[in-house]
Amino acid sequence: MAQVPVQTIHRDPQLFYWILFPITIVMILTGVLRHYASVLMASAPKKLDQKTMREQRALLHGINVRSNYHVLSKSSFTARRDALITAYESGDYLKDPDARGQPPPNPMSDPSAMEGMMGMMKNQMAMIIPNTLIMSWINAFFSGYVIMKLPFPLTIKFKSMLQAGVATKDMDPRWMSSISWYFLCIFGLQPIFNFLLGSENAANQMAQQMTQMGPQAGQMFGPGVDPNKQFLAEAENLAVIEHHSVLDGVEQRLLEGIKV
Amino acid sequence: MAPSLLRPTTQLSPEAALTLSQQAPTILRSSPSTVSSSALNALFASSEKPELWLQYENLILACLRTGDERSAHQCLERLVARFGPDNERVQALNGLVKEAEAKNNSELEAVLKEYDQILSENDTNIPIAKRRIALLRSMGRLSDAASALVQLLGFSPTDAEAWSELSDVYLSQGLYPQAIYAMEEVLVLAPNAWNVCHPTTAIARDLSPMLMQPVQIHARLGELHYMNATAPGAGSGSYQKSMAEAIKRFSRSIELCDDYLRGYYGLKLVSQRVLRDPGKPPVRSGDSEFALPDRSTIERLNELATAKLSEIVRRSTAQDRGWRGYSEAEIAAARELLSGDASASLAIKR
Repeated sequence: MAQVPVQTIHRDPQLFYWILFPITIVMILTGVLRHYASVLMASAPKKLDQKTMREQRALLHGINVRSNYHVLSKSSFTARRDALITAYESGDYLKDPDARGQPPPNPMSDPSAMEGMMGMMKNQMAMIIPNTLIMSWINAFFSGYVIMKLPFPLTIKFKSMLQAGVATKDMDPRWMSSISWYFLCIFGLQPIFNFLLGSENAANQMAQQMTQMGPQAGQMFGPGVDPNKQFLAEAENLAVIEHHSVLDGVEQRLLEGIKV
Repeated sequence: MAPSLLRPTTQLSPEAALTLSQQAPTILRSSPSTVSSSALNALFASSEKPELWLQYENLILACLRTGDERSAHQCLERLVARFGPDNERVQALNGLVKEAEAKNNSELEAVLKEYDQILSENDTNIPIAKRRIALLRSMGRLSDAASALVQLLGFSPTDAEAWSELSDVYLSQGLYPQAIYAMEEVLVLAPNAWNVCHPTTAIARDLSPMLMQPVQIHARLGELHYMNATAPGAGSGSYQKSMAEAIKRFSRSIELCDDYLRGYYGLKLVSQRVLRDPGKPPVRSGDSEFALPDRSTIERLNELATAKLSEIVRRSTAQDRGWRGYSEAEIAAARELLSGDASASLAIKR
């Protein structure tokens, strides 16, 4: 098979200064701006009032007792369990004992829940708006440009990734179009932001998407969760524990384990 | 180990606190007095780190202990400049400085009123609530401190620090069962924690370093049970039970930490006492309670504790490698316990 001749495309060297460079700079600057915008827009964490705090921590307390019961002696564990179960089932710890048994309020009507959603919306907006703008800017000015040649060979599969917007069949995948450079910047600038803004920056959209998709830790006390149901479930969890203690037979273990 | 400003300074010996506070002028000079959070500076200057603020906080504590109030004020000013005077932690530190500078009781009362004022505006300000409790305690109003603690724990029952403080307050009032309950709560909340110390009141009581020796929770519970058992007015049934649990707790503390002096000390003390007590056969009272182990086991435990204690005392006095770091006072107490034991056995032989 004959050697495929190396493709050469004569590009204006100015392409480098007028397309590749500006796109990169603009991407970095938007990242930095987005970071500071989200810092500015972030609302301070909302203060819990005493009753909410009591409700949440009482539940946590029950969970602690349930998971660490083995450090207690049987009598003190039973005393705690009885007290907790009674309080949970009678709804002592509830923030609003009158609302017991009623369906949870619509999260849309709860002002605190609204605030959380607004925060999420703001973040989304801070991500979507600049991306749309830059994308349309690139499309309007630089669509169809081939701006650089990667210094290493690639297989044909990379064609769709690297040559978006350049509809040619036979071009070597090493050539790269401007819109592809933009995508590469979106995904690859994280280390630069880390360097510029510190590791906990808000510029990285990938990280944000990850947290949105991942399991939500804050869901436990989130809006729309009925605390009464949580308490009842916890009471049940406590009730089924079969108690044993680390203190059972500890003297024997000690005498066997330590030799003088 | 050199004292570090990044770790809580409450457990430091007075000497270590002094060395720390003597570094204060150098640290204050070397770090910038204000940290700008603007973008340009962040690119060129070193960015602010949480460690810096932690350092200031610990520096304040160390400086107040050693009486260097000027440096304490400087640190406080920087914290205020960064976090604002309304930050809860800053408020607590501010109160702490005022408490330390109060000359007499009426000034302390004024600080207390200020705390009440802050709490009436924001009743979930936990740092201030804790300062208030510590202040009440250091003013000698123990029952007020206890009720304030109970109130705090009423809405925040997952606060191990407050439980530990409550246990200590109850202990100083002689309410052993309550102290035991509170200490058990600490154990439930922090089953893997090593030490029980009392950070909220550390400043108020820094004159008694023995109190701030970190104690393993199990050993501490053992001590509480022992005190409960030997307190006047303890019934025979509860005596048995408390002694049994004390033995178990001390054993557990040794199981968790080899060569734990305080655990062995307690084990020896309790087993000795049980062995010497005449005419109290172990009562088996249902399987829900802990019962005292049989006599031969207690004897073996006593022997083990005696042997280990004397080994620790011997090797620590000889400064063997790996046996340093025991506190002087604890070693002395162990030696005393052992010598008392020896003279008693001599007397029996005669």
